[in-house]
Amino acid sequence: MFFTLLKKDLLLELRSKEIVISMLTFGVTVILTFAFSFNVSSDIMGTFAPGLFWIMILFISVLGLQRSFAYEKEFDAYSLMLTSPVDRGLIFLSKWISGTLFLIITECAVALPFILFLQLTIDVNMLNFCGVIILADLGIMVGGSLVSGLAMRAKMSAVLLPILMFPIVSPVLIAAVKATIGLLNHEPYAYWQLSIRIMGSFTVIFGLIGYTLYDHISEE
Amino acid sequence: MSFFSHRKNQIWLGIVSTLMLINLYLIFVVTPIHPEQQWAQRIFYFHVPTAWTGFLAYFLVMIGGILFLWKKDQKWDNFGLASAEIGTLFTALVLVTGPIWAKPVWGHAWTWEPRLTTTLVLFLIFVGYFMLRAYGGHPERVSRYAAALGIIAFADVPIIFISVKFWLPEFQSHPQVEMNKQAPEYLYPFLFSLFVFTMVYLIMLRYRMHIINLKNKTLSE
Repeated sequence: MFFTLLKKDLLLELRSKEIVISMLTFGVTVILTFAFSFNVSSDIMGTFAPGLFWIMILFISVLGLQRSFAYEKEFDAYSLMLTSPVDRGLIFLSKWISGTLFLIITECAVALPFILFLQLTIDVNMLNFCGVIILADLGIMVGGSLVSGLAMRAKMSAVLLPILMFPIVSPVLIAAVKATIGLLNHEPYAYWQLSIRIMGSFTVIFGLIGYTLYDHISEE
Repeated sequence: MSFFSHRKNQIWLGIVSTLMLINLYLIFVVTPIHPEQQWAQRIFYFHVPTAWTGFLAYFLVMIGGILFLWKKDQKWDNFGLASAEIGTLFTALVLVTGPIWAKPVWGHAWTWEPRLTTTLVLFLIFVGYFMLRAYGGHPERVSRYAAALGIIAFADVPIIFISVKFWLPEFQSHPQVEMNKQAPEYLYPFLFSLFVFTMVYLIMLRYRMHIINLKNKTLSE
Protein backbone atom coordinates (compact mmCIF):
# COMPACT_ATOMS: atom_id res chain seq x y z
CA MET A 1 0.00 0.00 0.00
CA PHE A 2 2.89 2.37 0.80
CA PHE A 3 4.26 1.96 -2.71
CA THR A 4 0.82 2.60 -4.23
CA LEU A 5 0.56 5.87 -2.31
CA LEU A 6 4.11 6.83 -3.21
CA LYS A 7 3.42 5.98 -6.87
CA LYS A 8 0.33 8.21 -6.75
CA ASP A 9 2.36 11.19 -5.48
CA LEU A 10 5.14 10.62 -7.99
CA LEU A 11 2.72 10.12 -10.93
CA LEU A 12 0.85 13.30 -10.06
CA GLU A 13 4.10 15.21 -10.08
CA LEU A 14 5.35 13.52 -13.23
CA ARG A 15 2.22 14.67 -15.06
CA SER A 16 2.06 18.23 -13.74
CA LYS A 17 5.70 18.89 -12.71
CA GLU A 18 4.27 21.68 -10.57
CA ILE A 19 6.18 20.97 -7.36
CA VAL A 20 9.71 20.56 -8.74
CA ILE A 21 9.41 23.45 -11.22
CA SER A 22 8.05 25.85 -8.60
CA MET A 23 10.71 24.75 -6.07
CA LEU A 24 13.47 25.14 -8.64
CA THR A 25 12.33 28.56 -9.84
CA PHE A 26 11.95 29.77 -6.28
CA GLY A 27 15.40 28.40 -5.42
CA VAL A 28 17.03 30.36 -8.26
CA THR A 29 15.15 33.50 -7.17
CA VAL A 30 16.45 33.06 -3.62
CA ILE A 31 20.03 32.66 -4.94
CA LEU A 32 19.57 35.90 -6.87
CA THR A 33 18.48 37.72 -3.71
CA PHE A 34 21.53 36.30 -1.89
CA ALA A 35 23.79 37.59 -4.66
CA PHE A 36 22.19 41.04 -4.50
CA SER A 37 22.33 41.16 -0.70
CA PHE A 38 26.02 40.31 -0.35
CA ASN A 39 29.08 41.68 -2.05
CA VAL A 40 29.70 38.57 -4.15
CA SER A 41 33.26 37.33 -3.83
CA SER A 42 34.64 33.86 -3.30
CA ASP A 43 35.93 34.68 0.19
CA ILE A 44 32.71 36.14 1.58
CA MET A 45 30.42 33.64 -0.09
CA GLY A 46 32.65 30.73 0.87
CA THR A 47 32.15 31.62 4.55
CA PHE A 48 28.39 31.98 4.30
CA ALA A 49 27.66 29.35 1.62
CA PRO A 50 26.69 26.43 3.93
CA GLY A 51 24.22 28.59 5.85
CA LEU A 52 22.79 30.20 2.72
CA PHE A 53 22.43 26.82 1.03
CA TRP A 54 20.39 25.37 3.87
CA ILE A 55 18.27 28.51 4.25
CA MET A 56 17.42 28.17 0.57
CA ILE A 57 16.58 24.47 0.99
CA LEU A 58 14.35 25.25 3.96
CA PHE A 59 12.47 27.90 1.96
CA ILE A 60 11.97 25.70 -1.09
CA SER A 61 10.89 22.76 1.06
CA VAL A 62 8.03 24.91 2.42
CA LEU A 63 6.95 25.69 -1.11
CA GLY A 64 7.10 22.01 -2.09
CA LEU A 65 5.11 20.93 0.95
CA GLN A 66 2.46 23.55 0.30
CA ARG A 67 2.02 22.36 -3.29
CA SER A 68 2.08 18.71 -2.32
CA PHE A 69 -0.67 19.11 0.26
CA ALA A 70 -2.61 21.52 -1.97
CA TYR A 71 -3.11 18.59 -4.38
CA GLU A 72 -4.88 16.73 -1.61
CA LYS A 73 -7.22 19.65 -0.91
CA GLU A 74 -8.38 19.90 -4.52
CA PHE A 75 -11.76 18.20 -4.98
CA ASP A 76 -11.45 17.17 -1.32
CA ALA A 77 -9.21 14.29 -2.41
CA TYR A 78 -7.79 13.98 1.10
CA SER A 79 -11.19 13.23 2.66
CA LEU A 80 -11.84 10.64 -0.05
CA MET A 81 -8.47 9.05 0.61
CA LEU A 82 -9.31 8.82 4.32
CA THR A 83 -12.51 6.92 3.54
CA SER A 84 -10.47 4.20 1.84
CA PRO A 85 -9.07 1.36 3.97
CA VAL A 86 -5.54 2.75 4.14
CA ASP A 87 -3.25 2.83 7.16
CA ARG A 88 -3.02 6.59 7.83
CA GLY A 89 0.58 6.23 8.96
CA LEU A 90 1.41 5.07 5.43
CA ILE A 91 -0.09 8.28 4.01
CA PHE A 92 2.40 10.18 6.17
CA LEU A 93 5.29 7.94 5.08
CA SER A 94 4.43 8.38 1.38
CA LYS A 95 4.18 12.17 1.75
CA TRP A 96 7.50 12.24 3.59
CA ILE A 97 9.39 10.08 1.11
CA SER A 98 7.88 11.69 -2.01
CA GLY A 99 8.63 15.15 -0.56
CA THR A 100 12.23 14.12 0.09
CA LEU A 101 12.58 12.80 -3.46
CA PHE A 102 11.25 16.08 -4.92
CA LEU A 103 13.63 18.02 -2.70
CA ILE A 104 16.64 15.94 -3.78
CA ILE A 105 15.74 16.39 -7.47
CA THR A 106 15.41 20.14 -6.97
CA GLU A 107 18.71 20.31 -5.08
CA CYS A 108 20.51 18.56 -7.95
CA ALA A 109 19.16 21.19 -10.34
CA VAL A 110 19.64 24.21 -8.07
CA ALA A 111 23.20 23.31 -7.03
CA LEU A 112 24.71 24.52 -10.31
CA PRO A 113 23.24 28.07 -10.23
CA PHE A 114 24.12 28.23 -6.52
CA ILE A 115 27.80 27.51 -7.20
CA LEU A 116 27.88 29.58 -10.39
CA PHE A 117 26.10 32.74 -9.27
CA LEU A 118 27.77 32.89 -5.88
CA GLN A 119 31.21 32.22 -7.40
CA LEU A 120 31.99 29.27 -5.16
CA THR A 121 34.77 26.75 -5.53
CA ILE A 122 33.69 23.43 -4.14
CA ASP A 123 36.26 20.81 -3.26
CA VAL A 124 34.47 18.14 -1.33
CA ASN A 125 34.07 14.37 -1.05
CA MET A 126 30.89 14.03 -3.12
CA LEU A 127 29.80 10.72 -1.59
CA ASN A 128 29.89 12.13 1.95
CA PHE A 129 28.30 15.37 0.77
CA CYS A 130 25.39 13.51 -0.87
CA GLY A 131 24.97 11.45 2.29
CA VAL A 132 24.70 14.59 4.44
CA ILE A 133 22.25 16.19 1.99
CA ILE A 134 19.98 13.14 1.86
CA LEU A 135 19.97 12.79 5.65
CA ALA A 136 19.20 16.50 6.15
CA ASP A 137 16.46 16.36 3.49
CA LEU A 138 14.88 13.39 5.26
CA GLY A 139 14.99 15.37 8.53
CA ILE A 140 13.54 18.55 7.05
CA MET A 141 10.80 16.67 5.25
CA VAL A 142 9.81 14.48 8.20
CA GLY A 143 9.19 17.60 10.29
CA GLY A 144 7.60 19.40 7.36
CA SER A 145 5.24 16.56 6.44
CA LEU A 146 4.15 16.20 10.04
CA VAL A 147 3.42 19.93 10.39
CA SER A 148 1.74 20.03 6.97
CA GLY A 149 -0.65 17.33 8.14
CA LEU A 150 -1.64 19.61 11.03
CA ALA A 151 -1.75 22.90 9.13
CA MET A 152 -3.17 21.65 5.83
CA ARG A 153 -6.83 22.26 6.60
CA ALA A 154 -6.38 25.35 8.76
CA LYS A 155 -7.61 28.72 7.54
CA MET A 156 -4.11 30.18 7.43
CA SER A 157 -2.26 27.04 6.35
CA ALA A 158 0.25 28.95 4.18
CA VAL A 159 1.28 31.07 7.18
CA LEU A 160 1.10 28.33 9.78
CA LEU A 161 3.37 25.90 7.93
CA PRO A 162 6.62 27.93 8.10
CA ILE A 163 5.77 29.34 11.56
CA LEU A 164 5.48 25.83 12.98
CA MET A 165 7.98 24.08 10.77
CA PHE A 166 11.06 26.33 11.12
CA PRO A 167 11.45 26.11 14.91
CA ILE A 168 10.61 22.40 14.90
CA VAL A 169 13.23 21.51 12.28
CA SER A 170 15.84 23.94 13.69
CA PRO A 171 18.02 21.08 15.04
CA VAL A 172 18.26 19.64 11.50
CA LEU A 173 19.20 23.06 10.11
CA ILE A 174 21.96 23.51 12.71
CA ALA A 175 23.29 19.99 12.16
CA ALA A 176 23.15 20.26 8.35
CA VAL A 177 25.06 23.57 8.34
CA LYS A 178 27.67 22.18 10.75
CA ALA A 179 28.15 19.02 8.70
CA THR A 180 28.43 21.03 5.46
CA ILE A 181 31.04 23.34 7.02
CA GLY A 182 32.94 20.29 8.27
CA LEU A 183 32.93 18.71 4.81
CA LEU A 184 33.89 21.89 2.95
CA ASN A 185 36.74 22.63 5.37
CA HIS A 186 37.93 18.99 5.27
CA GLU A 187 37.60 18.72 9.04
CA PRO A 188 37.99 15.21 10.51
CA TYR A 189 34.70 13.32 10.87
CA ALA A 190 35.08 13.32 14.68
CA TYR A 191 34.54 17.14 14.67
CA TRP A 192 31.11 17.01 13.08
CA GLN A 193 29.90 13.46 13.70
CA LEU A 194 27.39 14.78 16.26
CA SER A 195 25.52 16.53 13.44
CA ILE A 196 24.95 13.15 11.75
CA ARG A 197 23.66 11.76 15.04
CA ILE A 198 21.36 14.77 15.54
CA MET A 199 19.89 14.48 12.04
CA GLY A 200 19.60 10.70 12.34
CA SER A 201 17.88 10.83 15.74
CA PHE A 202 15.55 13.61 14.62
CA THR A 203 14.56 11.65 11.51
CA VAL A 204 13.94 8.40 13.40
CA ILE A 205 12.09 10.01 16.34
CA PHE A 206 9.87 12.22 14.20
CA GLY A 207 9.34 9.44 11.65
CA LEU A 208 7.98 7.23 14.44
CA ILE A 209 5.95 10.07 16.01
CA GLY A 210 4.52 10.98 12.60
CA TYR A 211 3.60 7.39 11.77
CA THR A 212 1.88 6.97 15.15
CA LEU A 213 0.18 10.38 15.32
CA TYR A 214 -1.07 10.52 11.74
CA ASP A 215 -3.75 8.01 12.60
CA HIS A 216 -5.13 10.48 15.17
CA ILE A 217 -4.44 13.63 13.15
CA SER A 218 -6.33 12.38 10.10
CA GLU A 219 -9.33 10.99 11.96
CA GLU A 220 -12.62 12.28 10.55
CA MET B 1 -20.46 30.61 40.12
CA SER B 2 -17.22 32.53 40.42
CA PHE B 3 -14.01 30.53 40.86
CA PHE B 4 -13.08 32.31 44.07
CA SER B 5 -16.47 31.89 45.69
CA HIS B 6 -15.56 28.22 46.31
CA ARG B 7 -14.17 27.75 49.81
CA LYS B 8 -11.48 25.33 48.59
CA ASN B 9 -10.20 27.81 45.99
CA GLN B 10 -10.14 30.62 48.54
CA ILE B 11 -7.95 28.50 50.83
CA TRP B 12 -5.67 27.64 47.89
CA LEU B 13 -5.33 31.30 46.94
CA GLY B 14 -4.63 32.26 50.55
CA ILE B 15 -1.87 29.65 50.90
CA VAL B 16 -0.21 30.49 47.58
CA SER B 17 -0.35 34.26 48.23
CA THR B 18 1.19 33.82 51.68
CA LEU B 19 3.92 31.58 50.27
CA MET B 20 4.69 34.16 47.57
CA LEU B 21 4.96 36.94 50.16
CA ILE B 22 7.35 34.81 52.22
CA ASN B 23 9.26 34.07 49.02
CA LEU B 24 9.62 37.79 48.20
CA TYR B 25 10.74 38.50 51.78
CA LEU B 26 13.37 35.75 51.57
CA ILE B 27 14.64 36.98 48.21
CA PHE B 28 14.83 40.71 48.96
CA VAL B 29 15.49 40.78 52.71
CA VAL B 30 16.90 37.53 54.05
CA THR B 31 19.21 36.36 51.22
CA PRO B 32 22.58 38.12 51.43
CA ILE B 33 23.86 40.11 48.44
CA HIS B 34 26.05 37.94 46.24
CA PRO B 35 29.68 39.18 46.31
CA GLU B 36 30.23 38.70 42.56
CA GLN B 37 26.86 39.36 40.97
CA GLN B 38 25.52 41.89 43.48
CA TRP B 39 21.84 42.80 42.99
CA ALA B 40 21.67 41.15 39.57
CA GLN B 41 21.64 37.80 41.34
CA ARG B 42 18.18 38.58 42.74
CA ILE B 43 16.58 38.21 39.31
CA PHE B 44 17.90 34.68 39.31
CA TYR B 45 15.36 33.70 41.99
CA PHE B 46 12.61 34.54 39.50
CA HIS B 47 14.30 33.57 36.24
CA VAL B 48 15.05 29.93 37.01
CA PRO B 49 11.72 29.16 38.80
CA THR B 50 9.76 30.66 35.88
CA ALA B 51 11.86 28.57 33.47
CA TRP B 52 11.23 25.44 35.53
CA THR B 53 7.50 26.19 35.68
CA GLY B 54 7.34 26.93 31.94
CA PHE B 55 8.99 23.62 31.05
CA LEU B 56 6.84 21.75 33.57
CA ALA B 57 3.76 23.31 31.95
CA TYR B 58 4.89 22.28 28.46
CA PHE B 59 5.68 18.77 29.70
CA LEU B 60 2.13 18.58 31.03
CA VAL B 61 0.81 19.84 27.67
CA MET B 62 2.43 16.75 26.16
CA ILE B 63 0.93 14.49 28.83
CA GLY B 64 -2.48 16.13 28.28
CA GLY B 65 -2.07 15.60 24.52
CA ILE B 66 -1.26 11.90 24.91
CA LEU B 67 -4.21 11.38 27.28
CA PHE B 68 -6.58 13.31 25.00
CA LEU B 69 -5.64 11.26 21.94
CA TRP B 70 -5.91 8.08 23.96
CA LYS B 71 -9.06 8.68 26.05
CA LYS B 72 -10.84 11.20 23.75
CA ASP B 73 -11.94 13.06 26.85
CA GLN B 74 -12.45 16.83 26.42
CA LYS B 75 -11.07 17.54 29.90
CA TRP B 76 -7.57 16.56 28.73
CA ASP B 77 -7.80 19.00 25.86
CA ASN B 78 -8.82 21.75 28.30
CA PHE B 79 -5.95 20.70 30.55
CA GLY B 80 -3.50 20.92 27.62
CA LEU B 81 -4.77 24.33 26.55
CA ALA B 82 -4.67 25.75 30.09
CA SER B 83 -1.17 24.41 30.67
CA ALA B 84 0.04 25.75 27.29
CA GLU B 85 -1.27 29.22 28.12
CA ILE B 86 0.47 29.32 31.48
CA GLY B 87 3.62 27.74 30.05
CA THR B 88 3.80 30.42 27.37
CA LEU B 89 3.31 33.17 29.95
CA PHE B 90 6.13 31.80 32.11
CA THR B 91 8.36 31.21 29.09
CA ALA B 92 7.82 34.83 28.03
CA LEU B 93 8.90 35.87 31.55
CA VAL B 94 12.04 33.75 31.17
CA LEU B 95 12.86 35.54 27.92
CA VAL B 96 12.39 38.89 29.66
CA THR B 97 14.21 38.12 32.92
CA GLY B 98 17.09 36.32 31.13
CA PRO B 99 18.42 39.46 29.40
CA ILE B 100 17.88 41.56 32.59
CA TRP B 101 20.18 39.15 34.43
CA ALA B 102 22.59 38.61 31.53
CA LYS B 103 23.33 42.28 30.78
CA PRO B 104 25.21 43.12 34.02
CA VAL B 105 26.69 39.62 34.47
CA TRP B 106 27.69 38.63 30.91
CA GLY B 107 27.81 42.11 29.35
CA HIS B 108 25.24 41.23 26.66
CA ALA B 109 21.47 41.29 26.95
CA TRP B 110 21.18 38.22 24.73
CA THR B 111 23.53 35.30 24.28
CA TRP B 112 22.81 32.12 22.38
CA GLU B 113 23.12 30.07 25.52
CA PRO B 114 21.63 26.59 24.95
CA ARG B 115 18.86 26.73 27.57
CA LEU B 116 17.81 30.26 26.67
CA THR B 117 17.82 29.40 22.96
CA THR B 118 15.83 26.21 23.57
CA THR B 119 13.31 28.29 25.55
CA LEU B 120 13.02 30.78 22.67
CA VAL B 121 12.47 28.01 20.11
CA LEU B 122 9.88 26.35 22.33
CA PHE B 123 8.15 29.70 22.87
CA LEU B 124 7.92 30.20 19.09
CA ILE B 125 6.49 26.71 18.60
CA PHE B 126 3.81 27.50 21.17
CA VAL B 127 2.99 30.83 19.51
CA GLY B 128 2.29 28.65 16.46
CA TYR B 129 0.29 26.30 18.72
CA PHE B 130 -2.09 29.14 19.62
CA MET B 131 -2.36 30.20 15.98
CA LEU B 132 -3.26 26.62 15.10
CA ARG B 133 -5.88 26.66 17.85
CA ALA B 134 -7.28 29.94 16.54
CA TYR B 135 -7.26 29.20 12.80
CA GLY B 136 -7.31 25.39 12.69
CA GLY B 137 -10.97 25.08 11.65
CA HIS B 138 -13.42 22.66 13.26
CA PRO B 139 -12.98 22.66 17.10
CA GLU B 140 -12.89 18.86 17.42
CA ARG B 141 -10.20 18.64 14.75
CA VAL B 142 -8.25 21.51 16.32
CA SER B 143 -8.17 19.68 19.66
CA ARG B 144 -6.54 16.67 18.00
CA TYR B 145 -4.05 18.82 16.09
CA ALA B 146 -3.16 20.77 19.24
CA ALA B 147 -2.65 17.54 21.19
CA ALA B 148 -0.32 16.25 18.45
CA LEU B 149 1.61 19.54 18.33
CA GLY B 150 2.02 19.53 22.12
CA ILE B 151 3.63 16.07 21.86
CA ILE B 152 5.83 17.07 18.91
CA ALA B 153 6.98 20.28 20.64
CA PHE B 154 8.14 18.60 23.83
CA ALA B 155 9.72 15.66 22.00
CA ASP B 156 11.82 18.24 20.15
CA VAL B 157 13.21 19.85 23.33
CA PRO B 158 16.20 17.52 23.98
CA ILE B 159 17.19 17.53 20.30
CA ILE B 160 17.03 21.34 20.12
CA PHE B 161 19.11 21.61 23.30
CA ILE B 162 21.81 19.21 22.06
CA SER B 163 21.94 20.85 18.64
CA VAL B 164 22.25 24.39 20.09
CA LYS B 165 25.05 23.20 22.41
CA PHE B 166 26.78 21.71 19.39
CA TRP B 167 26.17 24.89 17.37
CA LEU B 168 27.99 27.21 19.79
CA PRO B 169 30.00 25.06 22.22
CA GLU B 170 32.02 28.05 23.48
CA PHE B 171 29.02 29.57 25.26
CA GLN B 172 28.97 29.68 29.01
CA SER B 173 27.01 27.13 30.95
CA HIS B 174 23.79 28.34 32.49
CA PRO B 175 23.99 29.62 36.09
CA GLN B 176 21.58 26.93 37.26
CA VAL B 177 24.38 24.40 36.91
CA GLU B 178 26.39 26.27 39.54
CA MET B 179 23.49 26.85 41.92
CA ASN B 180 23.92 23.57 43.78
CA LYS B 181 27.46 24.69 44.59
CA GLN B 182 26.24 27.85 46.33
CA ALA B 183 26.21 28.32 50.10
CA PRO B 184 22.95 27.34 51.92
CA GLU B 185 21.91 30.99 52.44
CA TYR B 186 21.67 31.33 48.63
CA LEU B 187 20.53 27.82 47.84
CA TYR B 188 17.58 27.40 50.24
CA PRO B 189 15.67 30.57 49.18
CA PHE B 190 16.22 29.43 45.59
CA LEU B 191 14.70 25.98 46.28
CA PHE B 192 11.82 27.63 48.14
CA SER B 193 11.20 29.92 45.16
CA LEU B 194 11.07 26.87 42.87
CA PHE B 195 8.42 25.34 45.12
CA VAL B 196 6.35 28.55 45.32
CA PHE B 197 6.34 29.09 41.57
CA THR B 198 5.19 25.49 41.11
CA MET B 199 2.31 26.22 43.48
CA VAL B 200 1.48 29.39 41.51
CA TYR B 201 1.39 27.29 38.35
CA LEU B 202 -1.00 24.79 39.97
CA ILE B 203 -3.51 27.42 41.10
CA MET B 204 -3.30 29.20 37.74
CA LEU B 205 -3.93 25.87 36.01
CA ARG B 206 -7.00 25.28 38.17
CA TYR B 207 -8.29 28.77 37.42
CA ARG B 208 -7.70 28.58 33.65
CA MET B 209 -9.38 25.15 33.45
CA HIS B 210 -12.38 26.59 35.27
CA ILE B 211 -12.56 29.48 32.75
CA ILE B 212 -12.15 27.15 29.74
CA ASN B 213 -14.89 24.84 31.06
CA LEU B 214 -17.23 27.82 31.52
CA LYS B 215 -16.44 29.06 28.01
CA ASN B 216 -17.10 25.64 26.46
CA LYS B 217 -20.34 25.29 28.43
CA THR B 218 -21.54 28.71 27.24
CA LEU B 219 -20.65 27.94 23.63
CA SER B 220 -22.48 24.60 23.68
CA GLU B 221 -25.68 26.13 25.12
